[in-house]
Amino acid sequence: MKEVLEGSHAVSEAVRLVRAKVISAYPITPQTHIVEALSEYCADGRMDARFICVESEHSAMASCIGAASAGVRTFTASSSHGLALMHELLHWATGARLPIVMAEVNRALGPGWNIWMDQSDSLSQRDTGWIQLYCETAQEVLDTTLQAYRLAETVNLPVMVVLDAFFLSHTYEPVDIPDQQSVDKFLPSYEPRISLDQQNPNAIGQMAPPAYYMEMRHSIQMAMQSVLANFNDVEREFEHVFGRTYGPITPFACDDAEYIFLMAGTSASTCRHAIKTLRNKGHKVGVIKLKMFRPFPYLYVRKSLGNAHKVIVLDRNCSFGAGGIFAQELRAAMYASGNHPQIYSFIAGLGGRDVTVDHFFEMFDYVEKADYPENESVWIGLNHDN
Amino acid sequence: MNQSIQTQSPNNVSLLISQSRTNTLGNKTGTWRFVRPKYQEKTAPCSNACPLGIDIAMVEMFASRKDYHSALNKLLMENPFPAICGRVCFHPCESACNRQFLDQSVGIHHIERFIGHWGLSHAKNFDTYPELNGAKIGIIGAGPAGLSVAYFARRLGYRCDIFEKSEYPGGLLKSGIPSYRLPDRILMDELERLNNDDIQFKYSQSISMDQIKTLNEHYDALFLCCGDAHSIALKISGEQHSIDGLDLLHQIRSNKMPVIEGTVAIIGGGNTAIDVARSLLRMGAHPIILYRRTRKEMPAHSHEIDAALKEGVVLKECLSPIEIQKNMNQLEVKFQCMKPGDITDGGRQTYIPDGNCSVTMPFSHVVSAIGAEMDIMWRNDQWELSMSHCQMKRIADQPVFWCGDLTTSEKTVTHALASGKQAVIAWDVMRNQSQNEINHICHQCQVGKGPAISFDIYTNGERKNRNNTEIVSFERVNSAYFPKIPAIQVNKISQESCQNSFNEVISGFDETQMMNEASRCFNCGICNDCDTCRIFCPEMAIQWDKSNRHILLDYCKGCGICIEECPRDAMNLEVEP
Repeated sequence: MKEVLEGSHAVSEAVRLVRAKVISAYPITPQTHIVEALSEYCADGRMDARFICVESEHSAMASCIGAASAGVRTFTASSSHGLALMHELLHWATGARLPIVMAEVNRALGPGWNIWMDQSDSLSQRDTGWIQLYCETAQEVLDTTLQAYRLAETVNLPVMVVLDAFFLSHTYEPVDIPDQQSVDKFLPSYEPRISLDQQNPNAIGQMAPPAYYMEMRHSIQMAMQSVLANFNDVEREFEHVFGRTYGPITPFACDDAEYIFLMAGTSASTCRHAIKTLRNKGHKVGVIKLKMFRPFPYLYVRKSLGNAHKVIVLDRNCSFGAGGIFAQELRAAMYASGNHPQIYSFIAGLGGRDVTVDHFFEMFDYVEKADYPENESVWIGLNHDN
Repeated sequence: MNQSIQTQSPNNVSLLISQSRTNTLGNKTGTWRFVRPKYQEKTAPCSNACPLGIDIAMVEMFASRKDYHSALNKLLMENPFPAICGRVCFHPCESACNRQFLDQSVGIHHIERFIGHWGLSHAKNFDTYPELNGAKIGIIGAGPAGLSVAYFARRLGYRCDIFEKSEYPGGLLKSGIPSYRLPDRILMDELERLNNDDIQFKYSQSISMDQIKTLNEHYDALFLCCGDAHSIALKISGEQHSIDGLDLLHQIRSNKMPVIEGTVAIIGGGNTAIDVARSLLRMGAHPIILYRRTRKEMPAHSHEIDAALKEGVVLKECLSPIEIQKNMNQLEVKFQCMKPGDITDGGRQTYIPDGNCSVTMPFSHVVSAIGAEMDIMWRNDQWELSMSHCQMKRIADQPVFWCGDLTTSEKTVTHALASGKQAVIAWDVMRNQSQNEINHICHQCQVGKGPAISFDIYTNGERKNRNNTEIVSFERVNSAYFPKIPAIQVNKISQESCQNSFNEVISGFDETQMMNEASRCFNCGICNDCDTCRIFCPEMAIQWDKSNRHILLDYCKGCGICIEECPRDAMNLEVEP
């Protein structure tokens, strides 16, 4: 059934449909609408779940870890400073191999105090061992959340479903909300591989001395390396039931492209508009939307960029002292590839500033004229008179 | 030791985590401890304030569990007459109750009354009187003090003879307290508790000081419990026209109900004045209480004054009678107007005549209720033993105890009962040990700061885990555990019934009300097995099997959380020995 939903509520609907048993969260803009709706579902009986109110995001994740250790489906959502506060426990969730799913609404970190879209928060958690899936539309948000549970429970790793603040979280779009029966078919009830057991008492996450620790870390990496294949399986199952699929990356007009844009999130939509204009002018331009950032889908990216001369990476984030994070990752990904294109790094749209069609033209003009990329990222849309 | 497990999933996703199936018993956290908790019960402020030292926190605990037998036993341990005291005691316990600092004091006397009443139909006769010990005591007066002496003495094995000048037991309980406060049936039922072959009542026996020597020959000790038998005279011109208040109350209680109509002056500000006024109101008269100071200084208990005024009694302040004149069928009373004078060292406001200002008012009757005093023959100031509630001197080498109103400064039923208990314990110590031991033993039996002493401690030894002298303050109660709940309002008869009959004004709690009210009690200082300590112990070091709660010192790390959490200050932390 199609309904007009804001992106936040697309998440809430998905969490309701997966029959999560424990939801624990602390409100923070722009994430609050997600758990606000879920708290109502818990209160009015639409969900048979425990909503745990906590005093901080640190405790929210701790509650999810506890509940997941007990063997139930859990959910939380956060943003920005809240996610940063969770940092310690994000590592714990991975190390304990708990299939927790979180909605992460991309928001800038202060100061200056800013509640708008920016990728710095999720990318700061790059190395915590969470699978990260970036979304572009409300429908993708709902679908990805459903998939996230199946993926997490298959590989025993936590998943972050990432969506842009306001551009996606607070924008209303028509969304096809699946029926419960179909979701139950796609996602059977959760059978934990490891959980606390009162009949046979155990403690999880005990001390691991040097003789054990390294193997456990290796096990996480092995699991991460299996994610791409498992994600594809999940997508196949999903397509079978719901008829939709997304892929770890989504190329557009890339087959013959000499220039390929690459980015994550909602700005990919704007970019496609710009590309149509550029194509009309005779430029061979395409765009790749990066959905899966962790694990990084090396093979897919290498294959899709194989014929391009120049790649234009848009980062709505900045690793100070090194530049755009997606660009760095892409350069690292392409280094081992025999035939790799030039990779140009642009930073735009921080702290909720619009990334317009004209900005993409500006990037294209720059790249078309350039002989080789600068070391540093180029900043687009700066107000020099500020 | 830690173990690791590896689980291969059907899809071969690696999963290696650390997991342990050993328990924490090997981790003896007790070695970290430098302070240790212990169960240390204390005295509740209500018990400390009770002249009889009743273990009220325990009574309320049993009452809230519907364990009326245990509640009654706790009451009867220290008090022979809970059904009476639940009605007539001015309940200093409630003024001390810690709950007043949260919302309102617990209605302790209503609960006592309920339990006492239950006792009238279930345990009227005290069935644990022990074997006689061979000694025999004589008691002069069958009022509250004399009855208390008999009750406690018989419980220590003494045979008792009670000499009473009237033809019935009870003293002021029978003749002085109006039946709207203490119905005759309750009084008689409760006095049944002294129905024992070895407590002999000898009625119509008026004993004088001269007869004491003769009596002495037949008894091992004598207890003078004759009370303040003489009313204090007004000492003004025309006083012969006034009626004595205590006499009037006595007549009203007897079947010779006098006829008194019209506007009646009641001179005085004590409880007798209030009792007279409220009785006259019920007889159809218009009572006016005239007091030489103001309401604030009236010795009568505040809630009694409130009840009287509510029923329609009029109070006129700062008027002191100077003359009564009979004029036709009327009595004209001239009053000197009074005004505040200096404040004494004790902080009490004095009142002095306001110049020559006077008023004269007509009344149909004048009742004098300015107090009572003992018969002059009992006066004495040479004591061999002087305690808070009794005094003793030897007459013809035999100990004679002065008890009740003859010695106590606060002349209430409960203080008279306390006096009897104290005198009996003092005598028992004298007889079995020596006179020199009395103070020491009484100190051991002291409840809270005293002077109340506990018959329980005297006969059964120190209470387990109880520190009798430490009193629980409100600050030590963990009030987070107690939501605010207002006191349960007690049932009363209608205002109309009050004015037209001697029916008991307060009808008391029903069972639900009583249990709800008893549940409001914090149970200050006693362990009521709420289990909070065990639930909060982070080391699970508190064990509870059946009735025994104990701390596993191998694992208690001395964090003190149990003590912080204990809602009622029944635990202490002490430095590791």
